[in-house]
Amino acid sequence: MARAKIVLAGEGGQGVQSIAKILVEAGYSANKNVLYIPNFGVEQRGGVSIAFCQIADECIGEPRFSKGDIVIMLSDRAIERCACYVDENTTVVYDDSVCLKKPEMKAKRIINVSASKIANDELSARVFNMIILGVVLKATKVVSIQNAKDALELALGKKFVAKPELRDLNYKALERGMGLINNTASV
Amino acid sequence: MVKKLITEDTKLFMTGNEVIAYAAVAAGAEFMYGYPITPQNEVMHTWCKLLPKTEAGFLQTEDEISAGFSTLGGILAGKKAFTATAGPGNVIMQDAMSMAEMNRLPFVCAVMQRGGPSTATVIYAQQETTLTCFGGNGEGYRIVYSTAGHQDLYDYTIKAFNTAWKYKFPTFILADGYQGKMREPVMAYDPEARGIDLVPATPYLRADGVAGVDRKPVHLRNCFNLEEELMEVLDSYEEEFNRIAPEIIEYQEYKAEDAEILIIAHGIVARSAMTAIDELRAKGVKAGLFRPITLRPLAIDPLRKAVNKAKQVLFTESANGQMARLALEKMYGLTTPYQTLYKMGVGVTGGDIVEKVEKMVKENNLVC
Repeated sequence: MARAKIVLAGEGGQGVQSIAKILVEAGYSANKNVLYIPNFGVEQRGGVSIAFCQIADECIGEPRFSKGDIVIMLSDRAIERCACYVDENTTVVYDDSVCLKKPEMKAKRIINVSASKIANDELSARVFNMIILGVVLKATKVVSIQNAKDALELALGKKFVAKPELRDLNYKALERGMGLINNTASV
Repeated sequence: MVKKLITEDTKLFMTGNEVIAYAAVAAGAEFMYGYPITPQNEVMHTWCKLLPKTEAGFLQTEDEISAGFSTLGGILAGKKAFTATAGPGNVIMQDAMSMAEMNRLPFVCAVMQRGGPSTATVIYAQQETTLTCFGGNGEGYRIVYSTAGHQDLYDYTIKAFNTAWKYKFPTFILADGYQGKMREPVMAYDPEARGIDLVPATPYLRADGVAGVDRKPVHLRNCFNLEEELMEVLDSYEEEFNRIAPEIIEYQEYKAEDAEILIIAHGIVARSAMTAIDELRAKGVKAGLFRPITLRPLAIDPLRKAVNKAKQVLFTESANGQMARLALEKMYGLTTPYQTLYKMGVGVTGGDIVEKVEKMVKENNLVC
């Protein structure tokens, strides 16, 4: 892996930008070059929210890229909007417990996860995005789970001090997400 | 005096808007006037968050007209004042920017370009290039640095204050919503520790002593009775602007030495061009980059030299040729053919440029 190009897309409010922030923070703490651009409209809630993330060993040039190595689609509208970032080298991940549609596009592989359902049934709706982060970690192997945990501490450390059980909940969600991708499915 | 935040080289990981606020502190900026507009807001937010430590000042005005003129007021009082804006805010601040040109005031402004015309998008564009260089009812006696990422934002924010206070022309850091909102690492430093002297601010009005006795009286003229009076002043500005241009112009070349296809791009698009050039070179295509860093004044001689050497030129930008117009005017008489890749208000990727250049190579049977 010289440069991993990751697109995360969903509805505003799903936590797409939070996932991206923690992901690139993890990359930064692993001493990689990172660049993250959030992309959203003027809405306070709703609308498609996209995060373009790059984590690389070398210096990063282009801020935006044409095609992602992995494109995460967390809503029907995200599937529509982000089909253009997919080609035959892209791994597509979508949440089949949120999306009514199935992404129909030429990709390296298309993986369905049920992160939203798992979050609601087993953990908490609030850690849906941490399950997705776990999926990204496992699918890209771009940063270690320890890097991600460190970044999580940086983002939510104060909340964890007040409520230590939140830390366990987030860790569980991360690990549950990683478990949704089998080893052969990595990018 | 504001208190320093960064006293030794410190690697930071933050958004570009935050970088600008930190760099302004490092440059010794004392006061920010502003009005919120996306994607510039966090320049103000960060500046304000830092106030308890820096002991600098901030005023949120009622709109950008006021923010622009208040900044001029701060400068007249002898403060290193600045503002930041974007999009429609940049449009309505032009009146104050014109006054800065007329009165030769060291106005400093960071422009985080967003899509236009009008409200358009809050995300990104390079569509405020003409506006920032030539907006207002005048001739565009402005110095404009086009940045390409966080290190540039830090370096050129510091430089903008020095340029403005040294030459007394309004000076702009022309960035965009991507740079404002994106996160990447940056090395922050104390400019003085690196041997960069900070040009001190001196008051225009209400300086010590009695005007006409202890010091020369100040006569800032914004209104002229006769046509010729105005032209006399503007002729002197033109002469001064051209005289200092060689000291100010900056540009960057990347693998341009033997380039057969020369890509001309500014700001963040130049970074995409560099990604594309590496990919094209790996495929045997001799591509290179000319990136004007100062859009006003433009590095005309180096530009002409680079263009003259190339077999073909490609202009690419996230606008419909706003930078190309500035360059083409200065390329009069050159015969190198050119093509364009314009994406209005949309990011240009390395992939876009590779595709376009490969098409140019094929169409023209260029042996690269």
